[in-house]
Amino acid sequence: MLLAATGLVFAILAALSVPIVFALGAAAVTGLVLGGYSLEMLASSLIGASQNWILLAIPSFIFAGTIMERCGMSYALVDLARALVGWLRGGLGMSVIVVSYFFSDICGSKMAEVSALGSTLMPPLKRAGYRPADGASLIAAGTAMGMLVPPAIFLIVIGEVTNISVVALFLAGFVPAAVIGICLCLLVALQAHLLGWPKDTRPSFRFLLRSLRDAAVPLVIPLVILGGFYFGAFTATEAGAIVALYSLAAARLYYRNLTWRQIVWIGYDSAVLTAVVVFLLAVATIFQYLMGVTGVPLLLGELLKPLESAHWLFLLGVALITMVFGMVLEGLPAAVVLIPVVFPIANRLGINPIHFDIVQTAAVGIGLFLPPMGVGLLMALRFAEVPVGEHAKTYWPYVLALLVGLMLIICLPELSLAIPRSAGFVR
Amino acid sequence: MNASGQAVAGASNGRSVRDIVLFVPRFVLIALLALAIADMIVGVFLRYVMVPVTDWLDLDPINFFWVEEVGEYSLAWLTMIGAGIGVAERAHFTLRVVTHRLPPVPQRAVHIASNLLIAVFGGLAAWYGTRLAIINTALTSPALQLNLAWLYAAPAVGGVLMAISALSLAVEPPVTEEAAPVASESGALAAGDD
Repeated sequence: MLLAATGLVFAILAALSVPIVFALGAAAVTGLVLGGYSLEMLASSLIGASQNWILLAIPSFIFAGTIMERCGMSYALVDLARALVGWLRGGLGMSVIVVSYFFSDICGSKMAEVSALGSTLMPPLKRAGYRPADGASLIAAGTAMGMLVPPAIFLIVIGEVTNISVVALFLAGFVPAAVIGICLCLLVALQAHLLGWPKDTRPSFRFLLRSLRDAAVPLVIPLVILGGFYFGAFTATEAGAIVALYSLAAARLYYRNLTWRQIVWIGYDSAVLTAVVVFLLAVATIFQYLMGVTGVPLLLGELLKPLESAHWLFLLGVALITMVFGMVLEGLPAAVVLIPVVFPIANRLGINPIHFDIVQTAAVGIGLFLPPMGVGLLMALRFAEVPVGEHAKTYWPYVLALLVGLMLIICLPELSLAIPRSAGFVR
Repeated sequence: MNASGQAVAGASNGRSVRDIVLFVPRFVLIALLALAIADMIVGVFLRYVMVPVTDWLDLDPINFFWVEEVGEYSLAWLTMIGAGIGVAERAHFTLRVVTHRLPPVPQRAVHIASNLLIAVFGGLAAWYGTRLAIINTALTSPALQLNLAWLYAAPAVGGVLMAISALSLAVEPPVTEEAAPVASESGALAAGDD
């Protein structure tokens, strides 16, 4: 009864465009009242969840990423990607995938990434003869893959929700993202031969060196993250502080194209976005508590029992549900509503929690870019001006490549666990 | 005045009330972000530079337990004030599948009801936040010895901001889907971000 009432309140309000966090909040208040729990929990949960040292990494990574994006580093990264793979047939297409990998390393925000890559890459793609739908597919699939590349905010949130070290998740994300990236590059190579996509101009050695030099400033960030975490030098929160200071110095001393006024506004946007994310997490804790006391994990455990015979089957089943949640509810709400309920079952089955988190992160990334209503895909399509239905005819091979990548991550846990294991996070 | 004229007047009233009320909180929000990031940078400096230096010079170690507390309290306040401002900025994640397809009158009704619901939630957060702050007046934080009422007042303030923002939005017409992702002056997207 309690469960049905809270679920119904949430579903109706969310469908009626009440912001998801308030739909969750209203459902939580309904659950607390019907269950006879004190409403004092509302205020204490809001403080308990937001007063969190690990989540402090979020504002600094968002702030740093937005500054670097606004400095125009996407141009430097696009040049580097074109110098590295542009000379292959379909190389410009592959460079979209490569640049998505680099870019996600620096820019923690998916929407900013789609927006930056769409505006930077769509014109050269069109000029080179790629159809707008192809361009949008490349950007959407590349950014979906980038979900796994640190310092993705989603990894911080899922780490917090499942109580797993954010550093371990950051280290775990690099290889699976590369695996999905390779799947996408193979597809691009195949498409290039079938559709006659051109080679980019063969870059000179001097161009390669120049693009490496220009990209060096933003690429220090992933090096700091990977190196610092691997050797256990600092925590995710400390890395956030270092990266924020570095990007501020780069903006003022190297790029010199941002005024203090603009930086203050970037700070404002970063603070609002941080608040939106952390507030959602805080409100969700009440909802999670209610789901716990009403036995939702047990119920879901029964439902998922047929999938428990093999780890890969369970992970795939949950990943497909997560994907649909990611498409409908967007990434972070999906994480705070679904993951805490399913995670204990995965734990009971003996699935490594880092592997579980990485698989679900990849699934949410794909869901965000899944037709017909993945918010990331809709954003990418704005740059292509192609309706979602028509685009799906071009896009399905990319979804297939993303799913092949996901299957590889599911079936080969070491892809996620090798680096954290060698850094001492997995025994 | 005709209906559209009233809607325009309502919209401008709502916006001006919101701008006045949120003027100070917007600056406080920026200051809290600056404080949180500066605090973390100071923490890194103390841990990686000052601790080895004091060890090397054989001086008393520097106490920096307060760094964690300042950071956490800043984030709590930033979250609550930002969540209130986020209502005004329409920055919270929102599903847009049904309502924008409704005819104008039911769309308007859903918009008003949705904002009233947010206002009620904000009111509850403010009420119970105030009660929690009063209960905690006798307690102090371990590192800063700060009265914990200051921490627990955050949901109260955030709740009031949410309620005012939602009520001011309720008198405005609903936004179209194209206008939905909110941009502040710098143009960054807030909603739908991961």
